[in-house]
Amino acid sequence: MSTLRNKLKPGWLLVLPFLALVVLFYLGPILNILMLSVTDPAPGLANYAKLGESDALARIMWTTVRICIVTTFFSVLLGYSIAYGMVHSSTQKQSLMLTLLLVSFWISILVRTFSWLMLLGNRGLINNTLLGLGIVSQPIEFMRNELGVLIGMIHYMIPYAVLPLLVNMQSLDMRVMNASRNLGASGTQTFWRIYLPLTRPGIVASSLLIFILSLGFYVTPAILGGGKVLMIAEYISVQLLVTLKWGTAAMLAALMLFGVLALLWLMSKFMKLSTVFGGSTQ
Amino acid sequence: MQDKNFLRETLQDGAKAFQDGKLDRRSFLALCAATGFASATVLAGKAEAAAKEIVMWNWGGQSEECHGNAIGKPFEAATGLPMRFDTSGPLQGKIKEMVDSGNVTADVCDADLFDAIALGPTGHLEAIDYDVVSKDKTLPNYALDHGISIILYGYAFVYDTKAYPTAPNSWKDFFDTAKFPGKRSLYKWANGSLEAALMADGVAKDALYPLDIPRALAKIKAMKSDSLYWGSGSEAHSMVVNGEVSMGMVWQNRGKNIEADTDGRYKLVMNEALAMPGAYIVPKGNPAGREAIMKFIATAQDPAAQLQLLDCLGMTPSNPAAFANIPAEQQAYAITSAQNIDKVAFNDPVWWGNNSGDAVNAFLEAIS
Amino acid sequence: MIETPQGNLQINGLSKSFGGFRAVNNVDLEIRKGEFLTLLGPSGSGKTTLLMMIAGFLDISAGDITLDGASIADLPAEKRNFGMVFQGYALFPHMSVRDNIGYALSVRKRPTSEIKARVDGMLELVQLQDFADRKPGQLSGGQQQRVALARALCFSPPVLLLDEPLGALDKKLRVEVQEQLKDIHKRIGTTFIYVTHDQEEALSMSDRVVIMRDGAIEQVGSPYELYEHPTTKFAASFLGKSNFLQRPDGLYALRPEKIDICGVDSAGVGPIRLTGNISSVTYFGSMQRVIVNVVDGDPIEVDVDSWRNKQPLTEGMKVNLSWQKGAAVKLSRD
Repeated sequence: MSTLRNKLKPGWLLVLPFLALVVLFYLGPILNILMLSVTDPAPGLANYAKLGESDALARIMWTTVRICIVTTFFSVLLGYSIAYGMVHSSTQKQSLMLTLLLVSFWISILVRTFSWLMLLGNRGLINNTLLGLGIVSQPIEFMRNELGVLIGMIHYMIPYAVLPLLVNMQSLDMRVMNASRNLGASGTQTFWRIYLPLTRPGIVASSLLIFILSLGFYVTPAILGGGKVLMIAEYISVQLLVTLKWGTAAMLAALMLFGVLALLWLMSKFMKLSTVFGGSTQ
Repeated sequence: MQDKNFLRETLQDGAKAFQDGKLDRRSFLALCAATGFASATVLAGKAEAAAKEIVMWNWGGQSEECHGNAIGKPFEAATGLPMRFDTSGPLQGKIKEMVDSGNVTADVCDADLFDAIALGPTGHLEAIDYDVVSKDKTLPNYALDHGISIILYGYAFVYDTKAYPTAPNSWKDFFDTAKFPGKRSLYKWANGSLEAALMADGVAKDALYPLDIPRALAKIKAMKSDSLYWGSGSEAHSMVVNGEVSMGMVWQNRGKNIEADTDGRYKLVMNEALAMPGAYIVPKGNPAGREAIMKFIATAQDPAAQLQLLDCLGMTPSNPAAFANIPAEQQAYAITSAQNIDKVAFNDPVWWGNNSGDAVNAFLEAIS
Repeated sequence: MIETPQGNLQINGLSKSFGGFRAVNNVDLEIRKGEFLTLLGPSGSGKTTLLMMIAGFLDISAGDITLDGASIADLPAEKRNFGMVFQGYALFPHMSVRDNIGYALSVRKRPTSEIKARVDGMLELVQLQDFADRKPGQLSGGQQQRVALARALCFSPPVLLLDEPLGALDKKLRVEVQEQLKDIHKRIGTTFIYVTHDQEEALSMSDRVVIMRDGAIEQVGSPYELYEHPTTKFAASFLGKSNFLQRPDGLYALRPEKIDICGVDSAGVGPIRLTGNISSVTYFGSMQRVIVNVVDGDPIEVDVDSWRNKQPLTEGMKVNLSWQKGAAVKLSRD
């Protein structure tokens, strides 16, 4: 162990300048934000006190958390199905599916958002078809409301949900599933009692990833929500750029930061657990 | 303005991806088209201020070409200083941050006049030199210590002529969803929307300020379930032409395009439009120096330059000397045309400059 | 308790093709109730494929499998009620030892009290009473192997399939576990079908051994029969060591320990059959392996028990080789 440490020493020296950069350019601004949240416009905890005083802030945070939870749930659910399908396809199909999945990363979020308007808007493809067929008499309001925001966000998040799950599922020992069947368990029993518990680390990882990414979402809610779905990230940016209430913005940013750190802490706990479980039977 | 800025940043990311070869040209152009930006604008990226040029900080798009031709060219001919652009959008927060950081890269911002009230007294702006710039070449209330209105834009509304055989003609009609059933769209960052609500509620157009925010919000909340809110001109445009709303608040210069795009199905109503003073403001310590930039602002006051902007962007001249020369085809759309000037309400930049933060937050909280 | 069926397994004309490759080719085999049958062969001989078809994890390309007269070819794996010990054990890593062992009963929705009693019995059988609440990751390789065995036996299957169950263990532990397996087999009387590529394991544990080669059965018999009377060169060389002698009437196999080695002037256990020079001597303690170059034919390998070594054997020494009549076995084919 001590020899290992000795070997690491020159390595640490090498990365030291970069560590210093990270501290300077990463931790610096974060400290700045924390400072700002207790000094602007006046020193004290007035910014934090607003949380208790303002119904609006509480409502915005609740909207944000609600949308993040629903987005996380459906993204992971759909992502799980996709990852499951991929793992159980032939190698050829699997790489095709992976390519299609990755291609979606290259499409700008803005293009995707406007595509949803074209597809699901009042005069979009779906509504025009339904109206044309006489199935509905009024266009269904998919967009410009919370449903629209959720559709747009879930669509955006699914690829992020698939990847951790895919890695998890690929690492599973299929003999364990065979063992379950051999012992008399049906496919359904095997899924609920063996497969699902063994993919729990993947589910936890992708849920936290989606939740944290969703917290910072901005464009999709702004456009697909028709202005009525205000999430915390957008609110922070308004305080920074338009209303110049930087203290409020810093307070909310600090709150999000601590929220995310708490989630990451949880995540690290689960990840450790997963190595204890091993995913391996050895 | 918020979203427009975001669109721009997204586009610049797109431009970077395009230049790095990660995005093909077609997708990039489609992206530009979808958001209403010229690809060249985006590719140019941030213009850097150097000693021998004037950098205008604006929102890019067409206004870059229009300002360049109308003001930049005559100014360069007169002084030899070329005009460049930073198209990242001069939001108050960004101006404040730029000046506070001491790294000022823009000489003049194409902003709102109320920004001069919000940022001037805190020392973030240069004072306007009224020995060089003329107070007479704009409307009386629109020459302030730290900013001066060059053009006017406005909040008006368009309506669907097929939905309403009797034409709506006022904000009262706009807010009356019983008499004129259908969806509405309003501007998301409060200004224009608050004034419209008050006029609809019976406040006279010249007695709007100080705004009675609770009264305005009550009116807006009453119509909330029938309302959408937009953050950028293109979004307002698409909400109308895609049939999402049957009456939509728009920037008045968009009204002309919407009438054209819908073959006249949607029609612009200028009665009770709220005239907004667009203004030039100068970040404290601008690189080209105060003297040069004041000359530049004086150039922009020239009636010919302002009329050119009207033709190019649909922005209305603020210099009274230009009013009489507004061409016939712009009479219906220009704010200060003989036909409209008595029908419109005028924004009070002082009230907005002092109250916009609270007004925007109150509005946001009411609509979300 | 689950009623134990007879456990008489009949395999008829069984084949498995992967694309154009025949992994198992027209295998006929009868597995008797309660016997310990080993499928022995090098990798790629089809032994694991055969086992997987019996277990129901692989579809059958042709042929049939019957259990006590009824075809089970179309039954899914979970309906066959065969216990199986997997290569690498395939324990459920998120469950305790107790839950692993009780899994088969639990998915069959047996009462909790019955499961507990049965699992306690199995824990005792494999001597893991003190480890019931541990996770598999906290056990040694040998302990995991015993959990896998207990899990597979817990629902009293008529047939237990074992796929190289000792492959992951070190040699010393392997011998120990072999003894335990044999002991458990004797006590519960379940039919064991055991796959291995280790000939010693096959010889020491099995009632009968099936030697497989290229997807087909090479020879079936008790370890004694196979060792004493191999019918093919492959069987003779895969199971134990053998010298091959080409005679005018065919090929003969001769085990190295059946040859007596003596000086040119003394007599051996039988008539002197070959003469040659010792080219190498390797000492193993209880025995020595001697290679003798003979005039006509391949070098002959002779294993000499050390206690019988009347005179020291040295390289270059000229020696006579003798063996009893019948020690060389005539082979039917290669």
